Amino acid sequence: MRIATPLLAVFRTLVYVFLLAPILVVVLASLNAGNFLTFPPQGLSLRWFWTFLNNDIFLNAIAYSATLAACATAVSLVLGTMASLYFTRHAGKHAEAVRIGVLLPLILPEILTAIALLFFFYEIGVGTEHKIALFTGHVLMTLPFIFLNVNTSLQGRDDSIELAARTLGASRYTAFRRVTLPLIAPGLSTGAVFAFIISFDTFGISFILKGTGSAPLPIQLFDYLRFNFTPEAAAVSTVSILMTLVLVVAADLLFGRRD
Amino acid sequence: MTEVSLRSLQKLYGKTAALKAISLDVTHGEFVSLLGPSGCGKSTTLKCIAGFEDITDGRICFDNKDISRKLPEDRDIGMVFQSYALFPHMTVTQNLAFGLEMRRVPKADIARRVASAMEMVQLTPYADRYPKALSGGQQQRVALARALVIEPAILLLDEPLANLDAKLRDEMRGFIRDLQKRVGITTIYVTHDQNEAMTMSDRVVVMFDGEIAQAAAPEDVYNRPASERVARFVGNANILDLPVAGADAQGTTVTLPGGTPLHIAPCAAPARAGAPDRLRVMARPEQITLTGPGLGQLPGRIEKRYFSGGHVEYTVATECGALFVTGPTTQHVSEGDTVGLSFDPARLWPLPDPAPERAQ
Amino acid sequence: MKRFRASLLIAPVAALIFVFVILPYVTVLIMSFRATADGQPYGQGFSVEGYQQFFSQPYYALSLPSSLALGMATTLVCLILGYPIALHIATASRKWRGLLYGIVLSPLLVGIVVRSYGWTILLGNSGVINATLRNLGLIDRPLPLMYNNFGVVLALAHVFLPFMVLPLLSSLQSIDPAIAQAARSLGARRFTIFRRVTFPVSMPGVQAGCILVFVLAISSYVTPSLVGGMRVKTTTLLVIDALIDQYQWPFGSAMALILAVSAGLVVLIFARLTRMKWT
Repeated sequence: MRIATPLLAVFRTLVYVFLLAPILVVVLASLNAGNFLTFPPQGLSLRWFWTFLNNDIFLNAIAYSATLAACATAVSLVLGTMASLYFTRHAGKHAEAVRIGVLLPLILPEILTAIALLFFFYEIGVGTEHKIALFTGHVLMTLPFIFLNVNTSLQGRDDSIELAARTLGASRYTAFRRVTLPLIAPGLSTGAVFAFIISFDTFGISFILKGTGSAPLPIQLFDYLRFNFTPEAAAVSTVSILMTLVLVVAADLLFGRRD
Repeated sequence: MTEVSLRSLQKLYGKTAALKAISLDVTHGEFVSLLGPSGCGKSTTLKCIAGFEDITDGRICFDNKDISRKLPEDRDIGMVFQSYALFPHMTVTQNLAFGLEMRRVPKADIARRVASAMEMVQLTPYADRYPKALSGGQQQRVALARALVIEPAILLLDEPLANLDAKLRDEMRGFIRDLQKRVGITTIYVTHDQNEAMTMSDRVVVMFDGEIAQAAAPEDVYNRPASERVARFVGNANILDLPVAGADAQGTTVTLPGGTPLHIAPCAAPARAGAPDRLRVMARPEQITLTGPGLGQLPGRIEKRYFSGGHVEYTVATECGALFVTGPTTQHVSEGDTVGLSFDPARLWPLPDPAPERAQ
Repeated sequence: MKRFRASLLIAPVAALIFVFVILPYVTVLIMSFRATADGQPYGQGFSVEGYQQFFSQPYYALSLPSSLALGMATTLVCLILGYPIALHIATASRKWRGLLYGIVLSPLLVGIVVRSYGWTILLGNSGVINATLRNLGLIDRPLPLMYNNFGVVLALAHVFLPFMVLPLLSSLQSIDPAIAQAARSLGARRFTIFRRVTFPVSMPGVQAGCILVFVLAISSYVTPSLVGGMRVKTTTLLVIDALIDQYQWPFGSAMALILAVSAGLVVLIFARLTRMKWT
């Protein structure tokens, strides 16, 4: 025990380093002044960020991904919250079936779901050209995250709070809007942030269903990385990491500490 | 003030009956407790009155108007929940104002009424606090004020004291009772605690298995229980099964082991079919007096003695089985002592035949 | 009436899942039995050609056991790395818990492409690790860290570690601390408590984490293709190849289903072996 404890501490620290290393390395690489991803870097510079800012392909991809994520999150937020309300309050003995059903897109391998959607949209004659398949896929991928987060905030709640509002004269709708909604707002915002990030980063669905024309950021990045080794990809990645970070921090500041 | 009446109220969950056609009238300003073990239907009754449960059959009337089909928000009730159900994201003031806002009361009136309700429950200094920053007793008072500030037709309380510690519970008991008398609101109170029911109510409704076993004043429920089960649920009861020596208009004479006759006054309890040869009689622990050996009507031996502060509790072995007796602390009796037990026949209560209900 | 109103809440999601998950999976099943055709994704009529094609060609057939092995290796690495971390977070003070939790979740917040890319920077022949070792004079030639199973397992373990830690953490946190205290009061030492109490009680988390990581690992595409290059051919890579590049939908579907069924069997056997009587 005496020897094992410090060994365990060293091991744990190494795992934490292991978790952070690839992310830190990407950020460091984006600051490389050289033409290639060499280590140690050939001086620090922001030149690759300037290159990125002048590259319409990546800028468009970011805008496209953000729009897609925002739309998918909005739809998932409504549908997922409804499903969560049903699950926590009305599902009764079917609760487990409902839970598994809503979580199916998370449980099933994403790439397989993507393939299934591809075939399905071809079979019904829609194909992938109209981006409906892509959008549907993103709604499916984000839905479980809304559901799980809203569940957590609903399950911690005392049901009689909404009933109390009813006895005080609030209609079903008013009770939900004035009492339940503010109480689950943190869950909704966490869920929304999660959903947005998942949609923004998801690969399989976007890869298979993107159709032709503009593609989401992860696909654009993947295509680029297969043939290029300049630090520009690192700059793009760093920007996407920063966007995520800003989103998480903003949500935490807005909704995190209350209750 | 409003009169509540439940008429043949029935509630089925699938095939199981939670309420088997119960009827109850609560008069103006009356404080009625629904008392019973968990699962007896007392909470279901309250939920039906509040409108949170659809009733299967029967009617609920406020002042003779059927409100059975109304939504909870249209019933004009004030309710205090076991968990208090305060809105955690609103201050005390906002909690109290909520019901008035729903009723579209003008802003100035809201401020005035909230202030006076806050005064009533002595919470004025806490007006701008959130529920989390209040003690259990204070939260309880906010819940009470929130229910009363809307001046509802009736007040429903669902085990409101269950989450408080013993001392606070005694305090709140008196507080709620005084407040209810002052406001004069018709009140229905659900509890599983017989002490609460006894001390607070005008009338206690004892419920078992979705049925009303007895509805009467606290003294009557305690001293004249309608059945052995009520007798045992409300306080401690000694049940003596004694042979009948004779009966007349003045009552029944039973014989104690040892031959001492006891004359029991007649009661409302239904007479037994056929020739009654035995009678079950209830004696409360404090209605039996301990005397010296050879005295009293029944000899016994002290098996257990527990000092409990204000009085002493004894388990006494007798020929009628073990009896539970309480006595003053000034009496010096020890475990193993032989004693005599003395009964006051006027305070013995004959019980109806336990056959129809399963004695526990 | 009440029940009807409540069911309206779930109706849209139920429809969504049925139409866009259940039906499409049925479509995959049907597709795998369609006839193949030249120049088109699939032909007229039905056949089992797709399945035959897979099992008759070693290039494809052999990818299956190596994919499953890759998945198992990743799962094992995740378990070994993840358990001490989950234990650490579960017992950490409030102040530290948030930060550690953040570190564990951080890979989830960064896209899978970026994370795999980070690993190529670390593991490449002129990458961070090899460059450092060479500058220190410890090696002459770069170590083969990438474009092999080692690199892929390492990168996959990183990518999916959060999915191991989270279920472990939730099962560890649900353990009543009094249980460990009780074991201690009965005379058990710390390691004994871990072996006899903590670990068995956390088994549901171990199970959930392992299944999750295994399924995610064998169906991952980005990491094997970026870190594995052309050298590591998992069945999932071959499926995408067949579907997207070669336009052979029945063959690709058959392969995907064979992979899914095999993975399902592995999961089933695993669940059987680690079955707990007390849950």
